[in-house]
Amino acid sequence: MKGAWILARKDFRSYFHSWTGVLLAVFFLVIAGLFFCLLVLNYARFSFEASKYPQEVIQSLGLTRFVYTSFFLNMAMILIFLVPLISMRAFSEEKKQQTLELLYTYPFSDFDIVWGKFWGMLQFFSFLLLPTAVYLGWIYFLGGRLDGGQVALGYVGFILLAASYLSLGLFVSALSENQVVSAVVTFGVLIVFWILDWVAGFADGLWAHFFSALSPLAHYRDFTLGILDFSHTVYFVFFQLYFLFLALRVIEARHWKTS
Amino acid sequence: MDSMKKAHVVAPDAPVRVRVESISKRFGTLTAIEGVSFEVRQGEVLGFLGPNGAGKTTTVRILTGFFPPSEGTVWIDGRALFESPKEIKRQIGYLPEVVPLYTDMKVSEFLDFAAAAKGVPRKFKKTKLKEIVNRCGLETVQNRLVGQLSKGFRQRVGLAQALVGDPKVLILDEPTSGLDPKQIIEIRGLIRELGRERTLILSSHILPEVSMVCDRILIMNKGRVVASGTSEELEASLKDTQEIYIVMGERHRKDEALGFLRALVGVEKVSVIDERSDQVSLSLTVSKNQDLRPAISRLFVSREIPLLEIRSGRLSLEEIFLKIVVSEAALQEDKAKPEGEKTEPEKGTGAS
Ligand SMILES: Nc1ncnc2c1ncn2[C@@H]1O[C@H](COP(=O)(O)OP(=O)(O)OP(=O)(O)O)[C@@H](O)[C@H]1O
Ligand SMILES: [Mg+2]
Repeated sequence: MKGAWILARKDFRSYFHSWTGVLLAVFFLVIAGLFFCLLVLNYARFSFEASKYPQEVIQSLGLTRFVYTSFFLNMAMILIFLVPLISMRAFSEEKKQQTLELLYTYPFSDFDIVWGKFWGMLQFFSFLLLPTAVYLGWIYFLGGRLDGGQVALGYVGFILLAASYLSLGLFVSALSENQVVSAVVTFGVLIVFWILDWVAGFADGLWAHFFSALSPLAHYRDFTLGILDFSHTVYFVFFQLYFLFLALRVIEARHWKTS
Repeated sequence: MDSMKKAHVVAPDAPVRVRVESISKRFGTLTAIEGVSFEVRQGEVLGFLGPNGAGKTTTVRILTGFFPPSEGTVWIDGRALFESPKEIKRQIGYLPEVVPLYTDMKVSEFLDFAAAAKGVPRKFKKTKLKEIVNRCGLETVQNRLVGQLSKGFRQRVGLAQALVGDPKVLILDEPTSGLDPKQIIEIRGLIRELGRERTLILSSHILPEVSMVCDRILIMNKGRVVASGTSEELEASLKDTQEIYIVMGERHRKDEALGFLRALVGVEKVSVIDERSDQVSLSLTVSKNQDLRPAISRLFVSREIPLLEIRSGRLSLEEIFLKIVVSEAALQEDKAKPEGEKTEPEKGTGAS
């Protein structure tokens, strides 16, 4: 476990050594900020029109639901673009620099390597997320009142969703030597998962259940609405464990005695 | 080669650090190495020597736990490598053939990471790293990005990285490849120094390097160990092999001469070293301890080919290496072809 932590720290730092990391941070901040501003402005216009009505009506519009639910749902779309760019580096970069040979011969277990890579990406992602906390302060400053629990759940769901996508990206990058291939394939698979959610909408009966049970977005939606359902958490944890396990198998493959 | 004698002798009762028991490695249908066995003692420097594709890197990778052998076992300090890889890996420092470097890190950052990864206790870390940096001559580049360093410095960073954590066994895969002559001498000096304190295994296809730095040499070819011993032993084992140098005139009759020389009993191989104006220089490897010079000169005289020079010489280690490696593979198939390109002219003992 200590090995995983050391590796995660190295990976986290390495995002800032390259332009990719810095550009990703900027890209994320700009897009997230844009979304947020638009939502808040929209809400302001909406509530201004509603101001002819009594105060209670305005209150019941629900600032949290109006702004944060949409915010998190939109950000889930952004993840589809963002995650492949974060995860493509994980193994592909080490392969390119031949440093995987180093990691394999340092006192790391394969488990350390996979966890380390995963944590490193999660740390970087959390770092990207950090500035969005400023938005909260901003809303308070403007005098809005938020449902703290719902916002917190939104964040939990968002991180769980991102972690799931990242674990998938990690697996893909373990398979590929090439960063671009790794990013494109991850992007493709994430799109497929996104389509699953659509299909779930069109299908009926048992199929609808089946597709929405598979779809990450279907599990994510409740979080953004402030609904805590334990089964959704279980789904995401399984999703991550599954792909981390696959990634582990991929890097363990070199131990197989080919004969 | 006497001037290159090693400075120290390995104690015969020194503990065996690395024991390799008939390991093989197959990649699909390709057999990269087959039945390789050897032992390395504490304080010994072992050199792998072999042409491209001999299986040096494959062997070394198995030793470092990069991948396991298809068959056989590696014992490090009496423990099987596959049993507790993490602890054993701590005992091994490894410089891969392609020096793996985090190009976007500073040298100091990279070494810090290596120290953390290898579990160097924090309180010693600073002094230990400083020692290594000084030893590898990296003081001036500590704060530079690894990716911007010259090849020589990268090699040093690779070496420094291998030294982090005071490994008992140091494994270097072609540590001097791609360096300029001055750097090669410096790195060799460093390697020799390192070999005094620990078990060192290095691979190379440069023979002088191996015979200079190593206590013992393992010659590999096509995945097998074809000879092993100290450079003196290797020379001794082939002492009855002689080499005869001939310079003949009338170049157009070269093939004729090659024909009857090859037919001569006791001649193992004939190669053309040089062809200049009307002269041809030939090198004969003679297997038995007999002097063939009278017989050869008689042959030339009877055919009226001018014999300008004839001389016998003992094989140098370089020639032994070539002889072993070439005779393994190329002897049969190349018997008809001249093999001048395989013997470097300047290495011939005093050919002028
Ligand atoms: N990962 C691999 N997959 C398939 N074949 C391999 C692999 N690694 C090595 N080989 C094959 O094994 C044989 C031995 O290769 P190896 O790299 O050990 O040679 P070497 O002695 O290090 O050569 P060089 O002097 O060129 O470095 C070669 O035929 C090579 O093609
Ligand atoms: Mg090699």
